[in-house]
Amino acid sequence: MIDENGIRLDGRRWDELRPIRIEVGVIKNADGSAYIEFGKNKIIAAVYGPREAHPKHIALPDRAIVRCRYHMAPFSTEERKPPQPTRREIEISLVLRRAMESAIFLEEYPRSIIDVYVEVLQSDGGSRCASITAVSAALADSGISMRDLIVGCAVGKIDGQIVLDLSDYEDKEGEGDMPVAYMPNLDKIVLLQFDGIFTEEEFKKAIDLAILGNKRVYEILKKALIEKYFGTVEEK
Amino acid sequence: MYMVLVRTRVLPGDLLHDSYTGIAPPNTYKLGNKLFSLKVGLVEIDGKDVKLIPLAGPYIPRVNDFVIGKIIDFDAFSWDVDINSIYTAHLPAQDVFGREFSSQTHSLTSQFKVGDMLAAKIIAFDRTKDPVLTVREHGLGKIVHGEPIKLSPSKIPRLIGKKGSMAKIIETKTKTKLIIGQNGIIVVQGPSEGIVLAARAIHLIEEKAHMPSLTNMINELLTKEV
Amino acid sequence: MSIKKSPIIENLRKMQMIELLSKERRLDGRSLTDFRPINIKVGVIQKSNGSAEVSVGNTKAVAGVKIETGTPFPDTPDQGLLVVNAEFLPFSSALIEPGPPDEDAIEVSRVVDRGIRESQMIDLKSLVIEPGKLVYCVFVDISILNMDGNIFDAAFLAAVSALLTTTFDKKIAKEDGSFEVQKCRLPTRCIPISITSITIGDAILVDPTEEEESVQDSRLTLTFNDQGFLCAGQKGGSTGISKEQLFKIVEISKAKAEELRSLVKKVIENA
Repeated sequence: MIDENGIRLDGRRWDELRPIRIEVGVIKNADGSAYIEFGKNKIIAAVYGPREAHPKHIALPDRAIVRCRYHMAPFSTEERKPPQPTRREIEISLVLRRAMESAIFLEEYPRSIIDVYVEVLQSDGGSRCASITAVSAALADSGISMRDLIVGCAVGKIDGQIVLDLSDYEDKEGEGDMPVAYMPNLDKIVLLQFDGIFTEEEFKKAIDLAILGNKRVYEILKKALIEKYFGTVEEK
Repeated sequence: MYMVLVRTRVLPGDLLHDSYTGIAPPNTYKLGNKLFSLKVGLVEIDGKDVKLIPLAGPYIPRVNDFVIGKIIDFDAFSWDVDINSIYTAHLPAQDVFGREFSSQTHSLTSQFKVGDMLAAKIIAFDRTKDPVLTVREHGLGKIVHGEPIKLSPSKIPRLIGKKGSMAKIIETKTKTKLIIGQNGIIVVQGPSEGIVLAARAIHLIEEKAHMPSLTNMINELLTKEV
Repeated sequence: MSIKKSPIIENLRKMQMIELLSKERRLDGRSLTDFRPINIKVGVIQKSNGSAEVSVGNTKAVAGVKIETGTPFPDTPDQGLLVVNAEFLPFSSALIEPGPPDEDAIEVSRVVDRGIRESQMIDLKSLVIEPGKLVYCVFVDISILNMDGNIFDAAFLAAVSALLTTTFDKKIAKEDGSFEVQKCRLPTRCIPISITSITIGDAILVDPTEEEESVQDSRLTLTFNDQGFLCAGQKGGSTGISKEQLFKIVEISKAKAEELRSLVKKVIENA
């Protein structure tokens, strides 16, 4: 999967990301929303709330609760995916929710609920990392207080090498995949999963590479938010 | 020492000050002595204090705020009022009918029906309980004509302007009256052409609230159209 | 996936709406028979066989077509299958609660399905690989991204635009019994168009917004084929409709369908 010149199947080097595009404020009705293209991933995240919890008994007296639904459109995959949520989608909803709970200032919104919805219109490798990036853009857009933005990007092992941001094919055929989400200002990892065999040294290298990649995603995310809120023109 | 400059555009997580000694101002938080932003916004410096003006965010009720709400439900003793916030507000029937209110003799729908809009003041709120409203003051009560328009609650101060200057410009040039709720709901009253124009001005504030030249832009829009 | 609560519209808005209607005008400045701006983008989902994103004002839908093989129904062994499924995504409205599709989402699926099926847009007979055993299944999945009234026509336009640009790998039997794979366009015969109107008192409003729908008396969705023949219809709303009003709606809708068809044609030609 890596040729003698160090070039991967899609033409990238080991430490290159796929093209990323982020647009903030794409769903009119939502309180905050964002669209991300990350490689072939096309994902919309949108936020409603904080709002009154229904039924009322699920609310907590001292902080907001977060509900997250990650869902893949039936046409998002190579083979049609039936619309009912799968175990994979439910697990991703959970890890996304935990990641955002570490950033949202939940204590500011007692007795309320924050609903976060993620819809994958087209899936590719690293869709949960692209999702958390879109979610954090949507949360910032909604004006919910957040300690930091969250960005995500995966690392993996292919042909015995640690590389940045696996494509779908590299994920399927490679030796290991490690999605990492990160709060860049607080320097904290908020989502980490991996499968495959890594030596301790490889693991450390992978984390360092993931953080490096995440810092680049962060620059793109910042630009998208600034464009939405301040326009592109520098003014004094 | 690092300290953010005035009018810096900030995002959640941005460092504002690296040795801040006071209590974190609204829309910021402290970690050790470091002060960080919680919102997308603009920085203003007030003396040596950092002030963060958010550009988005829900309306958080405050006691004494003037708000515009919509009746969404009622029971025998109070109305539920949507005030465009996290929490539904309540207007007690006693506030409207007085102390002699009795659920047997008074019909709540004789005063407010579902879908009615009202101007009210928040008299109680502390986050453990829902906000309570009153309409027993001059200028409060049912709003019977005009068009409701929404603006991000964080941008209401821009609509009002310094000492009400921006709102005044819009009212004069469009021959309308603006009833501005601090919760981000505005009712525009007046001739229908004026309402359309005022609505456009409010939408421009929504889009360009961060621009220092906002007043000029509004003036230009309204002068061109009148 | 959805259960939708109904919106509470401010009485001030309702009053204004009714007042404007008496002057044949609407809150957003349209005339009674105007559609909101329509935007159609095809080929938005590369992994699907055909796709389209459509916005009608603030109502936004995306449709993706997947073509797979399967067994035909026993009573139609010589026909391919068509499955239409619509979902109201939970972020499409503040009033939606996530859950399995409710009756409104299912109604949209069924109305779109009937319009496509009864207009005979797709030549299902040509989608047979082995009669009685193996046929192509055409899955049309529609996701509603943002709701502001007239979900029916946005969903229908998205489905039809996606189908018109659908290509798939067709297995063609060779003499020696093996198959050859060839990239083909989905065989379509016409461009059906649905037009939804509502009545409020005597007024007929084409392409209603959510606000307008909330005070509707009747709703009517009519689907027309290329010849301008009616091929499917659905009445909604819980008030009766007079014969005169019904005929008037047919007349208006037929003309509107022509307009929208030329719009779709233009998009497909430029795709």
